[in-house]
Amino acid sequence: MNRLHVAIEHKKLANGLHVVVAPDSTAPVVTVGVYYKIGFRLEPRGRSGFAHLFEHMMFQGSANAPKMQHIKLINSSGGVLNGSTSYDVTNYYEAVPSNALERVLWLEADRMRALKVDDENLNNQRDVVKEEVRVNVMNEPYGGFPWLDMPPVAFRNWANAHNFYGDFADLDAAHLGDVQAFFKTYYVPNNAVLLILGDVKPAEGLALAEKYFASILAGAPPVFADPSEPEQTEERRGHVEEQFGTLPAMAIGYLLPKRRTADWCAMALLDQALHGGRAGRLYRELVLEEQIAVEADGGIDDLFGYNGPTQMTSRIMHKPEHSSEAALAAFDAVIHQVQEKGISADELEQLKVKWRSDYYATLEAGRGNYMPKYGLMHLLACFTLFDNEPQLVNTILDGFLAVTPQQVHSVAKKYLRNEKRAIVFRTPAKTNVKEAA
Amino acid sequence: MASRPVEVAVGVPALAPEREVTWPKRTKAKLANGLEVILAESHTVPKFHGELFFRSGNAMVADRAPGLAEMTATVLRSGTQKRSSRRIEEDLRRIGADLSSHAGSDTSDISFSGLSEFAEPLLDLVQELAREASFPEAEFERERRQKLEEVKLQRTQASFLSSERLRKVLFGAHPYAQATPTETQVAAYKLDDLKTVYREFYTPQNGLLLLVGDFEPHEMLKTIAKVFGAWGGRKPETKTFPSPANPRGRRVYLVHVPGAVQTQILAGCQAITRKHPDWIKLGVTNCLYGGAFNSRLVMNIREGKGYTYSPRSSVTPLRQHGFFSVSAAVRNDVVAASLTEIFYELDKLRSLPVPAAELADAQNYLSGVFSLGLATQDGLLSQFSTVAQYELPDDYLETYRARVRAVTPEELLAMARKYLDSANMQIVLAGDRAQIESQAALFGELETFDAQGNRL
Repeated sequence: MNRLHVAIEHKKLANGLHVVVAPDSTAPVVTVGVYYKIGFRLEPRGRSGFAHLFEHMMFQGSANAPKMQHIKLINSSGGVLNGSTSYDVTNYYEAVPSNALERVLWLEADRMRALKVDDENLNNQRDVVKEEVRVNVMNEPYGGFPWLDMPPVAFRNWANAHNFYGDFADLDAAHLGDVQAFFKTYYVPNNAVLLILGDVKPAEGLALAEKYFASILAGAPPVFADPSEPEQTEERRGHVEEQFGTLPAMAIGYLLPKRRTADWCAMALLDQALHGGRAGRLYRELVLEEQIAVEADGGIDDLFGYNGPTQMTSRIMHKPEHSSEAALAAFDAVIHQVQEKGISADELEQLKVKWRSDYYATLEAGRGNYMPKYGLMHLLACFTLFDNEPQLVNTILDGFLAVTPQQVHSVAKKYLRNEKRAIVFRTPAKTNVKEAA
Repeated sequence: MASRPVEVAVGVPALAPEREVTWPKRTKAKLANGLEVILAESHTVPKFHGELFFRSGNAMVADRAPGLAEMTATVLRSGTQKRSSRRIEEDLRRIGADLSSHAGSDTSDISFSGLSEFAEPLLDLVQELAREASFPEAEFERERRQKLEEVKLQRTQASFLSSERLRKVLFGAHPYAQATPTETQVAAYKLDDLKTVYREFYTPQNGLLLLVGDFEPHEMLKTIAKVFGAWGGRKPETKTFPSPANPRGRRVYLVHVPGAVQTQILAGCQAITRKHPDWIKLGVTNCLYGGAFNSRLVMNIREGKGYTYSPRSSVTPLRQHGFFSVSAAVRNDVVAASLTEIFYELDKLRSLPVPAAELADAQNYLSGVFSLGLATQDGLLSQFSTVAQYELPDDYLETYRARVRAVTPEELLAMARKYLDSANMQIVLAGDRAQIESQAALFGELETFDAQGNRL
């Protein structure tokens, strides 16, 4: 077996900023990321959607790079940039020809040091974010299904259960004071990691990180709200109306074991047994064999990138001539089979080969052709911020490759239980569909 | 633009000297059966990416049925003389591989990636799919039903409805106007028609195999000769179609989406093929207009006015034609305001030469982003594939950056004047008729359609 090893240098600056450098001179390009350990899960109450709105504000100007300059300076250096907000982290990243490395670091340091935005910027981005929500959710068939539909059904703690894209009333209520407070609380160097990947020498990367970031003052360590959930003891169900599409859909989510445990590794492979593309049991049984469903996919979203309660979520769109009861029964039959019989040694072996292959693909790219090493950046950031151990990127695979058929069988029985799941039915307004009770 | 002057950044570090950009050497070969092969090494991960494409797509058989080549590509993976559908999927997983098969307007392809240690079994499966697909009746009927649901779903998506209408408006009677089938057309597909397309298109003389990844090219070439050598078949007859009339005068096509909370704007005009001598110059013009985050369009209607989340423009190449389009999903009350800005920025490009510094920014962007593709196997594959599919010169990649940098403000002005005339743009709006009709009518003669394409 040809194992991949990623060379990594890791250092923590005096102000608490983690720096991770992963050199690779294959191509004259470098990927830079800054991850802050705050996502939409722990955004302020009464300010749903704020972590994401704030992410937009980080492109609106900093002390020495006013509005539009950030984007202009990256694009005109031959690079691309973006940011994204997820459950427990928010990231900002650039891929540029390596001769622009110093410029990118200067820009990231400038906005970590001092965001400089005003009401006009906030109003502008509030409008932009509303159009983002309209294009991705409100005006899109099955928009937000199930990532926005599931949390309020599955969870009881506001942190996990609220609308992560934001209710428009909450977006409207956000003001400049919120922006400044959020920045001051969470966007401190001691709550972040800087990643430099690609065409850079390790010593040079660390020296440049020192040069641009070391003088940024540390802040008070952020205090995080408790995201834990009260124990779930009953199946939960919810209904959402679908405005555009004509197929009935449902999502079934099961709570996941704690990350980086043996159960978690086994669950990840069970997830692949169920959701691994067209060979996965759900697609095979529901789409290819029974032909009740048109789509059956889903699984664990961003396995390495969450740091709080989460689910493995199956997503099924079925033919309208079958009731949702019948579709759910077909789904349950797949679950019962794996609970009764587990999976064979041969199936597990296939899953492990595919797992390894997918893992390499993640490290190399992970987000299209033009963001090299996005996946490696994401894993290094999460392993640093959550585990203080970026080297996990070279060892985490071992845990998955060591999983036994018995462990998979055992987690199927332990976690795929009705009282640990939640179901959302997304029902078309336009067709008459028989609903499950 | 924004309501206040743009400020500049202070103290920005200069760029270091550019590092040389070297595209990996391509090993080219042609098997005795006519199959062309292009190989390139990239050792980023112990994997490889590949594509077996054929120089025939949906346009070639549009007179038989729209989307027929795509349906053929879809059913292709569901069985061979040796393997069932289920077996194919499990065998792919067993060797850690991914595979998909599609057809576009001008090509059909099987795309794949997998671990280098299992290169031969993956190539063997690809060969089997290209050569011995069995088109089982039951799999065909299942895929047909899925396609019907997919086609129904598409007709509820504003972005789909607008691009479908624009293709019809720009290409009229040409096969490029028929990008997707209707439900009725899918219901009328016949298995024998798929088999005929398969026999005609999927031949070594019509094919090109591209591989990029962690392998030794000469060893790989031996494997390829072994796996693909016995395959036979001739090149299909190629057809050329009469050029579509170029729509003159600006008109507005409204696709009614009841209840839409936003309007999808898509405006466009015919443009050029990728082989056209103006291609790169028009590409730079587009980049500066709406092809990058830092473009005039994005800075105006997103960063300045907040009308939309992701406005963009592009030049889409097809083998025999091409088209320019600009799109933005905007809130319903600013449809007219957004169109005004979209055309203002086009007209400005036709009236005033762009400042040299702004042109340099766009040139740097295109040149730099081009080199990002070097860093991944898939990035390399897509560039090699572009060169091969559009039959571009061998040194296209090596000379691209210099040609981008050679474009002058005068040439850019000429491009805008030649191709981007707002008086002849065709405007498609997918949205709720009651909310946008009066705004739409301000921009030209208005025709309204429902989602099925019927005139209202």
